[in-house]
Amino acid sequence: MEAESMKLLAAAIAIGAGALGPGLGIGMLGYGAMQALGRNPEARGPIMTNMILAIAFCEAIAIYALIVSIMLIFIA
Amino acid sequence: MSIKRLWSRIGRWPRIGIIALACFGLIAVGRLYFGTAQPHVNLPPEQLWHAGGFPITNTMLASWFTIVVLGVLCYFATRRMELVPRGLQNVMEALVEGLANFVDSVAGKENGRKFFPVLATIFIFVLANAWLSMLPGFMSIGLVHEAEGHTAIVPFFRGANTDVNVPLALALVSFVFVEYWGFKANGFRSYASKFVNVSRSVGGVKKLLRGRFKQGVGGMLGGIIDIFVGFVEFISELIRVVSFTFRLFGNMTAGEILIFSLIFLLPWMAVIPFYGLELFLGFIQALIFCGLSLVFVVMAVSSHSEH
Repeated sequence: MEAESMKLLAAAIAIGAGALGPGLGIGMLGYGAMQALGRNPEARGPIMTNMILAIAFCEAIAIYALIVSIMLIFIA
Repeated sequence: MSIKRLWSRIGRWPRIGIIALACFGLIAVGRLYFGTAQPHVNLPPEQLWHAGGFPITNTMLASWFTIVVLGVLCYFATRRMELVPRGLQNVMEALVEGLANFVDSVAGKENGRKFFPVLATIFIFVLANAWLSMLPGFMSIGLVHEAEGHTAIVPFFRGANTDVNVPLALALVSFVFVEYWGFKANGFRSYASKFVNVSRSVGGVKKLLRGRFKQGVGGMLGGIIDIFVGFVEFISELIRVVSFTFRLFGNMTAGEILIFSLIFLLPWMAVIPFYGLELFLGFIQALIFCGLSLVFVVMAVSSHSEH
């Protein structure tokens, strides 16, 4: 295969496979947060703060994959 | 029947549907028959001119614009300060108070007062950069030139967060801030022993020299693990800089590319919800940058309570 088509394919695979893990992770975080909120609605503040924080960590991994994909398309 | 009578006879939702369909049809016709080329996205920020050997990029111009806007806002908010705030002073006080409550809720009142300036600066700077880049004129007003067979534009202003240097600088500021407070609150030896933990291995060597062979070797093996764990801790502190940088840079650049592509794909219609998404994302990224720095500095300050 030529380099051009390989680059496009690599960009697609990078973001496709790279978004799997964080998608699952954020879903699990939301699940945990909803459960905790259901059990104890008064602790809404700390639960939401910690959930947003953990989601940020998780999403950063997806952003790394997106950066690799953008670099493949626009720079390489 | 006349058009006016027909129009007044159908209900509200069919009217909205017809107007939407007309807009969509107009834009589709424009796209099909009067189409323009897709814009070319350039990741590194374009340099506009050189000032004494130092290149001035369009993201630098945008960050200066942010600084000017923030300065003007704060000047007018504090010009005639009253005890019961009204108008612009009220808005700025609400912003500062909201941030102070956020910082205090995680760090406690006295530590919160010490951490507040740097964290609030980071938050307001990232937020202002992100939201001001949504103004019309950013990325659209610039020099047009021909490049590689299609027209390219060198914009005069580009969102400052899309240049990797701005998130990198903020991440380095946050790193130095966390380490400074870690050293200051725990003392130099105590905080440094989190990274360079030789106490157990030195103790093991001492026991070995005194003749207690088994305890000495056990201490030395435990000491090797401690040194390795300390090293990994140090690496994870450094990786935070990379993580902060690419989180902010990736989010902002992806949003900018998305809006840029959508504007040319289906003009005026498809991009509206994504503008809302980009505003929301700018706020969330500012909050996350500030919130993560806050959590790390709280962890660094209270790190040696159990050791």
